[in-house]
Amino acid sequence: MTAVAPAVSAPIAAPAHAETILSVRDLRTQFFTRDGVVRAVDGVSFDLKRGETLCIVGESGCGKSVTALSILGLIPAGAGRIVGGSVRFEGTELTTLSEAEMRRIRGNRISMIFQEPMTSLNPVFTVGQQIAESVSIHQGLNRRQAWDRAIEMLSLVKIADPKRRAGEYPHQLSGGMRQRVMIAIALACNPQVLIADEPTTALDVTIQAQILNLMLELKDRLGTAIILITHDLGVVAETAQRVIVMYAGRKAEEAAVDELFRHPIHPYTRGLMASIPRRSAAGRRSQVRGRLQEITGIVPSLREEIPGCAFAPRCGFAVDRCTREQPPFEAHRPAHFAACWEAARVVGTPR
Amino acid sequence: MTAYIVRRLIATIPVMVVVALFVFFLLHLTPGDPAAVIAGDDASPAEIEGVRRKLGLDLPIWQQFGIYAWNLLQGDLGTSIFSNLPVLTLVKQRLEPTIVLALATLFVAVAFAIPMGVLAAWKARSFVDRLVMGFSVLGFAVPVFLFGYVLIYVFAIQLRWLPVQGYRPLAMGLDQTLRSIALPAFALGMTYMALIARITRASMLEVLSEDYIRTAHAKGVAQKSVLLRHALKNAAVPIVTVIGIGLALLISGVVITETVFNIPGLGRLTVDAILKRDYPIIQGLIILFAGAKVMVNLAIDLSYTFFDPRIRY
Repeated sequence: MTAVAPAVSAPIAAPAHAETILSVRDLRTQFFTRDGVVRAVDGVSFDLKRGETLCIVGESGCGKSVTALSILGLIPAGAGRIVGGSVRFEGTELTTLSEAEMRRIRGNRISMIFQEPMTSLNPVFTVGQQIAESVSIHQGLNRRQAWDRAIEMLSLVKIADPKRRAGEYPHQLSGGMRQRVMIAIALACNPQVLIADEPTTALDVTIQAQILNLMLELKDRLGTAIILITHDLGVVAETAQRVIVMYAGRKAEEAAVDELFRHPIHPYTRGLMASIPRRSAAGRRSQVRGRLQEITGIVPSLREEIPGCAFAPRCGFAVDRCTREQPPFEAHRPAHFAACWEAARVVGTPR
Repeated sequence: MTAYIVRRLIATIPVMVVVALFVFFLLHLTPGDPAAVIAGDDASPAEIEGVRRKLGLDLPIWQQFGIYAWNLLQGDLGTSIFSNLPVLTLVKQRLEPTIVLALATLFVAVAFAIPMGVLAAWKARSFVDRLVMGFSVLGFAVPVFLFGYVLIYVFAIQLRWLPVQGYRPLAMGLDQTLRSIALPAFALGMTYMALIARITRASMLEVLSEDYIRTAHAKGVAQKSVLLRHALKNAAVPIVTVIGIGLALLISGVVITETVFNIPGLGRLTVDAILKRDYPIIQGLIILFAGAKVMVNLAIDLSYTFFDPRIRY
């Protein structure tokens, strides 16, 4: 395998020691419905470094899950497909791989965890069988070895009494335990990349922290890079090293996590942050008024081509140009990128 | 589980009592004097009275039922009016061809229908799907006897691959039996094939849209294994149910098929007994078919636990 340098310059300079493992360039995924073409992902680019945690954040329908499914080639054929762009994993272009070659990567080198632990496990097989299946497919282990590995994985994800639990069916486990099993399946083959699509959204708040901590702990232990997809800025703050904010199938902003929270540039990012309750009594205006800010307006339909900035109709800073021309995704601060014509004016306005 | 089976077996008792009652009164609901029917057209009144006394038909009706039920419990299904042979003996003679035909039919139906249904669901709304569904409509629409004659014409008369009709018992060798049963099994199996293929497709379509199928793909499971391992087992309960219903429908199908292909089985015995008004045989067969149906139902219910661990008795 030859390491190929990304065609387009990476948005954020990689630390010298960290090598880019996954590189997405100008990814476009569309769905073909009776009412027209839905541009679910409309030109998204990003890099993922070895061992890094990257959060993709945005509202429902902003294309974050479709981005994840596109990387793994799991867009249901017939419904939609990747129409452009590239996904390079360790130098291999994934979008042109055959189905059989792609299968050797899925669940092995790149794994995925889904939002719904209640329905994401097969109800008619024991959890042990479902973990063992992964390792027997990808590592050619025999039945005995695969089963031992399944039990090992169950104890790795901190399920008590793994020997007994391995023989149980999903309906005998709680939601939190099922998500642990999903993590065990995903990590069973020591993947380089783990994509977690809203892994804690369906769980109780008390369980959420446990699952996130477990993921981060295992990431450090196994050196897996994580793409964490979420709509929850709280989760982002706790887990991410780098954040991408998505809106209407495009990237709105990208920065390291501290930088993003301290100096949000894009009005959409600012809106997201204003819409979550804060504890600090620093005397910010939203606190004084005692109300949470909402982002007025609705998410645009992705059926029509959006010539300008997709957020313009809901944006308080929007000028004429915003609805006509798509803003470039460029650096407005060191290693901090946003797609906004009026960035300077936005940054100059106190939150 | 064992407790459940015992409970279910006990529950069959009232069912069988009702069947026995129905079967018993069947004889008395039919027009005419049973004794006169049995004695024959040219019997004298004295002869008719003799038959009546001999068969206990002069006793009060509840007493007759008591005797009938008592005999049933001892496995005595009565005696044929015309051949004077015990019904049980007649049934035993005719049992093999019918069981072989039923099993072969079921095998043919399931072996073709499930792959067809899985394929149709996988390639939903494609040409293959439409082909399978078209075949399914045809399978329902074409009557067994018509399809049977077409098969005989093509494979037995024109191509001469298989015998036209008749049945070779297992004692003559399995290959002989299979050759003789192939066409009837296909003729009879068409309807079930259509039925099972349709349900398999519907059930698979539903399962294939489940989240855990996406999980299987994300794990790198091969398409074949996603379909046959992950999806089919989840789709099995409705399919097995329909196979069970099919077994019940098979009873009427067997009557026609055995007639078309001249197979000396229970179906033919039924037709002959009805035409000759040989009541004890009809009664015995109804009881046997009802008992078989009850047992098939139980077997189907128990098979659910094999396919779905969430079902426990």
